[in-house]
Amino acid sequence: MIAGIAITLLALGGACGIVRLLLGPTLADRVIALDVVLVAAMGAIAVFAASGGSTANLAILSVIAIVAFTVTVVTSRHIETRSEAAPATGIGRRPVDDDPSREIRGGGKP
Amino acid sequence: MNPVAATLVIAGSVLTLLAGVGILRLSTTYSRFHAAGKASPVAFFVIAGGVGIELGFAAAAQLAVAVAALALTLPVGVHLLFRASHRSNDRTGGLHVDDLVPAERLAARASVSGEAVSERAAPDLEQPET
Repeated sequence: MIAGIAITLLALGGACGIVRLLLGPTLADRVIALDVVLVAAMGAIAVFAASGGSTANLAILSVIAIVAFTVTVVTSRHIETRSEAAPATGIGRRPVDDDPSREIRGGGKP
Repeated sequence: MNPVAATLVIAGSVLTLLAGVGILRLSTTYSRFHAAGKASPVAFFVIAGGVGIELGFAAAAQLAVAVAALALTLPVGVHLLFRASHRSNDRTGGLHVDDLVPAERLAARASVSGEAVSERAAPDLEQPET
């Protein structure tokens, strides 16, 4: 009963995150929505273990947390450098011209 | 289920739902970061507390590892996303005051001239560059 209510609430929260994951105007929105979905999934795994009384699945939780962190770090690095990486294709936007910090931090830009 | 554990689990589930509604309904990217980065780890901490009370010591130890991993990594990841989306040119709006751009200019100038950022250079933060 309690576990059913809790998993329903967690699924609703994860569904909101999935909608933002599909809608998200920027890539950072999608990544943070993926984080919310994964945290909801972690909560659901924990509640499921509590309702069943088995502790076999609890080791997955720390793995999910670390994998979500890796995804976030890699994608934020990509967001930061994609403007300099693909200037001619029109995929990434050009950095602001009058900002010297962006040119210095560009890495490998002449 | 133990009533204390049930209360904690339901409270954490409601917090997760709040994080989901916040990330769905808030208007700008930065405010969505706030909703996701603050509510969701706290929600998992509360759920883990309830499940640890319910399942006993061995499960609570495993949950403590997961809680430590989440508490160490998720704020760092959200901070990196904040910084990346500020540095990339996605001006997603909603910032009336932006203190990071003059601070980064000051740091870049100091790194070019080989000086450390000192207290004497701090008034440059207030002056717009020409």
